[in-house]
Amino acid sequence: MLKQIRRALLLSLALVAPVMADTFVFTAIPDNDETRLRERFQSVADYLSEQLDVDVRYVPVKSYAAAVSAFRNNQVQLAWFGGLSGVQARQLVPGSEAIAQGKEDTQFITYFIAHKSTGLEHSDTLPKAIRGMTFTFGSKGSTSGRLMPEYYIRQAFGEAPKDVFSRVGFSGNHSRTIRLVESGTYQVGAVNYAVWNSELDAGKINTDAVKVIWETPPYQDYQWTIRGDVNERFGEGFKDKVKQALLNMDDPELLKKFPRSAFIPASNSDYDSIRETAKQIGIID
Amino acid sequence: MILSSTSVRITAAFVAIAILCLFAADLAITTINPWQDLAALFLGMVTPDFFSLEHIGTALLRTLAFAFTGVALGSVSGFLLALVFRFRAVRMFCAFIRAIHELFWALIFLQFFGFHPLTGVLAIAIPYAGIFAKVYSEILDETDPTPERVLSRKVDVLSSFLYARIPDALPHLITYTSYRLECGLRSSAVLGFVGLPTLGYYLESSFSQGYYSEVGALLLLFYVLIATLRLWARPRLIPLYVIAAPFFLGDGLPIVWGNVVRFFTQDIVPSPLRDGEGLSGLWHWLSDLAVNQAMPGIWNTLVLTQIALVLTGLVTLMAFPLISRHFGGPTRRGLGHVVLVIARSTPEYVIAYILLQLWGPSMLPAIVALALHNGGIIGHLIGRRSNEITLRPDAPKGIERYGYELLPRLYSPFLAFLFYRWEIIMRETAILGILGIYTLGFFVDSAIQNIQFDKAMVLILVTAFLNIGVDAISRRVRARLKLKVSMTCEGH
Amino acid sequence: MDAVHLRNLTAAYGGQQVLGPISLDIRPGEHIALVGGSGAGKSTLLGLLYDQVRDRAALVPQEQGLVQSLPVFHNVYMGRLAAHSRWYNLLNLVWPRRRELRAIEPLLEKLGIPDKLRTPVATLSGGQKQRTAIARALFQEAEILLADEPVSALDGPLAHVVMGLMTESYATSVVALHDIDLALRYCDRIIGIQNGQIALDDMTRRLTPSDILPLY
Repeated sequence: MLKQIRRALLLSLALVAPVMADTFVFTAIPDNDETRLRERFQSVADYLSEQLDVDVRYVPVKSYAAAVSAFRNNQVQLAWFGGLSGVQARQLVPGSEAIAQGKEDTQFITYFIAHKSTGLEHSDTLPKAIRGMTFTFGSKGSTSGRLMPEYYIRQAFGEAPKDVFSRVGFSGNHSRTIRLVESGTYQVGAVNYAVWNSELDAGKINTDAVKVIWETPPYQDYQWTIRGDVNERFGEGFKDKVKQALLNMDDPELLKKFPRSAFIPASNSDYDSIRETAKQIGIID
Repeated sequence: MILSSTSVRITAAFVAIAILCLFAADLAITTINPWQDLAALFLGMVTPDFFSLEHIGTALLRTLAFAFTGVALGSVSGFLLALVFRFRAVRMFCAFIRAIHELFWALIFLQFFGFHPLTGVLAIAIPYAGIFAKVYSEILDETDPTPERVLSRKVDVLSSFLYARIPDALPHLITYTSYRLECGLRSSAVLGFVGLPTLGYYLESSFSQGYYSEVGALLLLFYVLIATLRLWARPRLIPLYVIAAPFFLGDGLPIVWGNVVRFFTQDIVPSPLRDGEGLSGLWHWLSDLAVNQAMPGIWNTLVLTQIALVLTGLVTLMAFPLISRHFGGPTRRGLGHVVLVIARSTPEYVIAYILLQLWGPSMLPAIVALALHNGGIIGHLIGRRSNEITLRPDAPKGIERYGYELLPRLYSPFLAFLFYRWEIIMRETAILGILGIYTLGFFVDSAIQNIQFDKAMVLILVTAFLNIGVDAISRRVRARLKLKVSMTCEGH
Repeated sequence: MDAVHLRNLTAAYGGQQVLGPISLDIRPGEHIALVGGSGAGKSTLLGLLYDQVRDRAALVPQEQGLVQSLPVFHNVYMGRLAAHSRWYNLLNLVWPRRRELRAIEPLLEKLGIPDKLRTPVATLSGGQKQRTAIARALFQEAEILLADEPVSALDGPLAHVVMGLMTESYATSVVALHDIDLALRYCDRIIGIQNGQIALDDMTRRLTPSDILPLY
């Protein structure tokens, strides 16, 4: 009740000094199945809480940009970012650090997928025949669904996607990209390979209608990024404790949530190439 | 001639513009096999699953709480603004704040308030305050001025206002405010699309994941909420709801005030200025933004809006008989109400997605989605208005009744509603980026997703001025037609 | 009160002069009737008059100036808003003060509508509305009463009661009337208006109906 009164006061006056509860808050980009985000990450929060000896809370967000903003605004102190969102976040929060990445994230790839009616087959280079077709990215802020595919499209054709394709859409997320290409609404799309594989395993993809036509070369993707000021707030050595807790995570159940086989150390410089790519495309100033 | 020639001429002009726009618009149908996902979608809609959603009750509560708090705050601020509405600066200020879509307000506040309830409350309250200010001041201006005239000049301003002006305006103020509440519920639900914990949050999540039974459940719930609004939102209960609402907004995360300062002193400052590139850098930055985003954005927005406006009119004219008592019995009208509730309560975004599957990416799904949604809203208002008309007992039936008795009487309010809605249709073109239609809203969203708030702010300003422009034209057209429809949900 | 001196009053409508120039003195203690055909300019003259003496006059306009959704009580009370602080007025709006109720009740009784104290004006008949407007003016107790056809909706005996009350309560009054008999009976000076000019201005005792009739 007291809390409610406080909130009411806060709302009516909007003049309350920042109330900083000492809860360690983290978030994750909504890369996959947003309806299950909370249950997906609650067990991670429990694990971290146990390892770090502080209250840990997970907050779901609706977009990549919202994850970056929450991190930047110090409303979350730790985040599971994609390659691009991590670069954006670290650029905005001086002192923040990439501390761990999934084992798979050093070798992440994007699948270009196409509807069968295009007649496209799997090939070792991006097929020139996709010129003039309709194409959909995933979310605007995604590394695997936007940044890297756009980079490779520009590399292959020397033009912006809107000039290569007859129509360019942004489906919003990876599973919707799969669905839109599967139905032929868009002829070609770019999708996170991990999402494709997990949907394939779950039997959710009609492989008669849609297939992978090209795989990008590997690039760095997801990573855990932590704010630089956590030690001041949660005690000396806190950042290292978080890093250790992540690296020590070996419960297969927990790792499956990401899904990664293990976490390995990461550093800001691992993502230099992603930043360069984003700059070239104009996503980062 | 029953219809004034002016209204015929204006209608013809707008239809002609829309036809010209059709040539500029991309309307191709390019789908191959739409039925697979659509079948799943419709199956899901008819087999709603109310149980797999963990937080559906909370989402419903939050939707109501944000709507009530936001509309209440907007209404109080709007009322205060209405008192000083005679000042040009106030009028411009109000036109400006209502020209920015709730979703954009939410996206702006998200950057510095983050997931604090204030974000959602202000996202509704601010544009609504601008709308309320305008309509309230119209209502106050329309009340009988004679009671004030007979008062002694020594009477203080407050007493004179409270006794001579408010009592007669009050019923109209209340009617309008409660109409606005339905809009507030829709806004509140839609704010979930950007992360507020309302119905839209879950709707978008389930929808993007293809959990159509959950989508069906959420939509049904929302339809019921809107359809029964008059039953549970009794005027006497409203104060109770308003007092209770702030307690049900949820916790969110605490506000860090440093972020607010940073947003205004750094984030929205154009990057060339931040990086010390001076005026030439700024000029280059601005012209690049204008040529590559603002101009094409304005063009696409206008083309889409003008076609959607005329199609909305057509849908309205076909839809209003569905709920009119001059056609069909109570069962038919009941069904008509259901159809219109579905049309106006299904977010355009969802309709557009369904049509995208049917027809493939082009402007067509966007146009039809906007027309169905807005036609549902105006059709509802015109249908209700038609019920106020009493026909002579031997009036013709069927199509003659429609053409000779009703249409001539309803055409003026119809045009008025449509022109009021013009500006809103334009604002709604913002959220159709999924279709690959690069409206201004698409570019605003892109800038925000790229964390380029300086660009986002410039584009939002462009959007606002475009809206103000359309609003001004609409006002002149309405003035020429001598149309006045106040006290309606969409009347602003 | 002081006498009212009006000089060269004019009124124009749509660029066309419809009244005046008129000069007029109103002496304290005078009951003046404005008579003349419809459209002659009586209401316009009253309006101009009211603008000149607004600080010390109570007005009963033809359109009555009632707040339709407020009860009779509040409408009558509005006559004396200036006599109280805004907070007292606010309180009385929400929660009628006993003192004011007691003061207004007898007034309504005299006007024949005691049972309408708490009835919203919107639901009253034309005659009842008219008496509410008059009650407000009487309650106001200003120096001078300006009334425009105040008894047009009242029949025979009631019109006399109301006219009697008005002349009794206000020492000085200017009342526009179309009923010549009432004018002759309750007023001691009669001003006839024709085509926006004063066509007749004399003491009642020197006039008969036949002097006034040509004005119509």
